[in-house]
Amino acid sequence: MAQKVIQILTLNDGVWDFQQLFNIWSQVNDYFEDVRFDFSGCHFLRPNAVAFLGGLARLIESRMGTVVFDWGTLHNIRVMTNICQNGFAGAFGYPLSRWDGNSIPYREDKTLDMNGIMDYLTYNWIGKGWVRVSSRLRDAIAGKMWEIYNNAFEHSGSDIGVFSCGQHFWRQNYLILSVVDFGRGIPANVRTFLRQYADEVLVSKLSGAACLKWAFERGNSTCMGGVARGLGLDLLKEFVRINQGKLEVYSNEGYAIIDKDGERYENRDISFEGTVVHITLRCDENLYRFRDESEAPF
Amino acid sequence: MKLSIKDQIGPRCIIKEDGQKIYDEIYGSLKNDETVTLDFNGVSQFASPFFNFAIGQLLKDIKESDLRRLLQIEHLNETGKLVVEHVIENAAKYHGDKDYRKIVDDILEEQAREAG
Repeated sequence: MAQKVIQILTLNDGVWDFQQLFNIWSQVNDYFEDVRFDFSGCHFLRPNAVAFLGGLARLIESRMGTVVFDWGTLHNIRVMTNICQNGFAGAFGYPLSRWDGNSIPYREDKTLDMNGIMDYLTYNWIGKGWVRVSSRLRDAIAGKMWEIYNNAFEHSGSDIGVFSCGQHFWRQNYLILSVVDFGRGIPANVRTFLRQYADEVLVSKLSGAACLKWAFERGNSTCMGGVARGLGLDLLKEFVRINQGKLEVYSNEGYAIIDKDGERYENRDISFEGTVVHITLRCDENLYRFRDESEAPF
Repeated sequence: MKLSIKDQIGPRCIIKEDGQKIYDEIYGSLKNDETVTLDFNGVSQFASPFFNFAIGQLLKDIKESDLRRLLQIEHLNETGKLVVEHVIENAAKYHGDKDYRKIVDDILEEQAREAG
């Protein structure tokens, strides 16, 4: 059987890098045979790429295709060490288990495992000593990040679950968490929801950016059932703003960014079926205190 | 009526299923105009799905002023209080019968304006 070879290049977390990931998705999306990832051109792999490629591999497998991560082609020792340490290589055939070092583990959740995810966020992500926070604040931040997972499981309709990975960057002193699903996507969900009430033709004209903007507004939710929802993204936005971090969401053709300059919603040329939530937090300890823990302004 | 949330749920008030359990426990008493105390001693982690179901949905049948009078919350830390306040504010404004046709028209109008 023919094997499709996909070149995995150096992948950072800029817009161009995400476009490469969505290109890879489109190359394999309708391909129900065998795929091999070749890493000979890869000199860096950020956690967003790790989570995305892991999820993509599971997506292909769920469609009865096979995926080979050709580790022999990965010659960059730093990349190899990192993905061995965070467990990604081990999850895809490399004969080495992850170890507890400076990395944040690669994680796959087929179902919403509350304690597993909260332990990951509490002890492996924010609570690993990158930033000195009180246990109270550590718990508070983990609770905010939970909203990402909850949204993914509640809205995406993904059969293969949710994939995540994080990393702390010592030199730049920031902490990243990337959560990926290959479900319907937020714009698609918003359109499906609104179609129940409004004209189909009008709803189909809503851009990805407009749908994302609607989803990010407090109180807006595509959930039915009479219980008010729609706070998760709003709580995240507020948290990121206070901590001067960055929250980016890529979903279908929509892109949202919330950072120190405000919030912006855009349409991208490349679309993919699913959602990536990519959060970057600054590890400046002055930004991580409750009002009663210091003289800091919040 | 007084409920220890830690005994009922554990140290994490996160998921909607746990919120629903608390709602089921307290709804009848509140509806009968009885005071209910929720004690969050020993609970350290919170997220909105729990409070949407435990407290937010009470506002479907109980006025906000009555809820604030009848529902006493103890030992809830700053993070939890913030989430509860957001949830109550959101639920109080919630209408299941929003005019989504107008919402779609408004979004399209804004989209057209932004496109220039």
